[in-house]
Amino acid sequence: MPYSRLQFVFQGDLGPFNPGLPVEVPVWLAINLKQRQKCRLIPPEWMDVEKLEEIRDRERKEDTFTPMPSPYYMELTKLLLNYASDNIPKADEIRTLVKDTWDTRIAKLRLSADSFVRQQEAHAKLDNLTLMEINTTGTFLTQALDHMYKLRTNLQPGESAHSQDF
Amino acid sequence: MSEAYFPVDPGLGPEENFLSLDDILMSQEKLPGRAESALPRLAFALGQGAGTGDSIPEGSKLEIPLWLAKGLHDSKRRIISVELPKIYKEAWRTVFSADANVVDLHKMGPYYYGFGSQLLNFDNPENPEIAQTILQTFISRFRRIMDSSQNAYNEDTSALVARLDELERALFRAGQKGLNDFQCWEKGQASQITASSLVQNYGKRKFTDMDG
Repeated sequence: MPYSRLQFVFQGDLGPFNPGLPVEVPVWLAINLKQRQKCRLIPPEWMDVEKLEEIRDRERKEDTFTPMPSPYYMELTKLLLNYASDNIPKADEIRTLVKDTWDTRIAKLRLSADSFVRQQEAHAKLDNLTLMEINTTGTFLTQALDHMYKLRTNLQPGESAHSQDF
Repeated sequence: MSEAYFPVDPGLGPEENFLSLDDILMSQEKLPGRAESALPRLAFALGQGAGTGDSIPEGSKLEIPLWLAKGLHDSKRRIISVELPKIYKEAWRTVFSADANVVDLHKMGPYYYGFGSQLLNFDNPENPEIAQTILQTFISRFRRIMDSSQNAYNEDTSALVARLDELERALFRAGQKGLNDFQCWEKGQASQITASSLVQNYGKRKFTDMDG
């Protein structure tokens, strides 16, 4: 993409930047300013040990996926902890908590994928999944379901579609 | 880490997929059969006798590849009849329904699912049971493939895939790619630009061409 187009995409007014006053800016700008040591980052409200513990416990307790504080919780945690860990209190604990929550959710995702396949369901509803989570198992799951669908059409002889689709 | 080309999935049905390499390899798997009528001068072509003029008497046993069996099998003109390979027979079907995870599907014929689906072409009375067993086998082996492919990071996977059939191995690779891509992101390597595997392989291929 040419640079001029990129500028067009990221258009908008930001600021005013006054020393000592908090201002809301996009993540990319915040990190850029932080790297040049022009600002101090204020972590989002949910990036807090107590809140994250609560989220983790709820995630462990419930069978379904609980809503996450941000659809990009993994990405944000990683970026902020990498570039601004000095501005975030208890950064290490937060890292562990988010990782725990992630692991719980992935285990849950696998469990539900397995029962989905086992019961030969045709459709399912998965709420509150983030893109990052979908991406890690997406290809695998869709491929497996594809195979299963074809094997299932074998059960009805004569009706199988003579398809050469790819 | 991206693939140099996108492999075409096997057809997994009575029709094979013309462009799938797996299906092409699968079509030359051997199938037991029997000659329903005398086949003069065909012994050589069917790999039975040594001389070109030998004929196959009626009722003799044959071992022919799937593609040939499909061509010769005709329910009206009875030229050959096809028998089930033993892993699709009832004894093995019971084993699969007991615990499909213990079976070494790679040894039992590396294209278990595709080959089994092709067998449905031969109007066998056991067809519904075969189709059902294949589906159930896939379902019960699914969990293990998913778990092992998503947990084995940076380790030797040859022991994990040794007992998987070719279809399952492709699935395993898909799971591994998801895991590896995620780990790559987590370690911050995703933002580094690397040479495409296509370019890397292109260089290698050139060298081997010069050798040969």
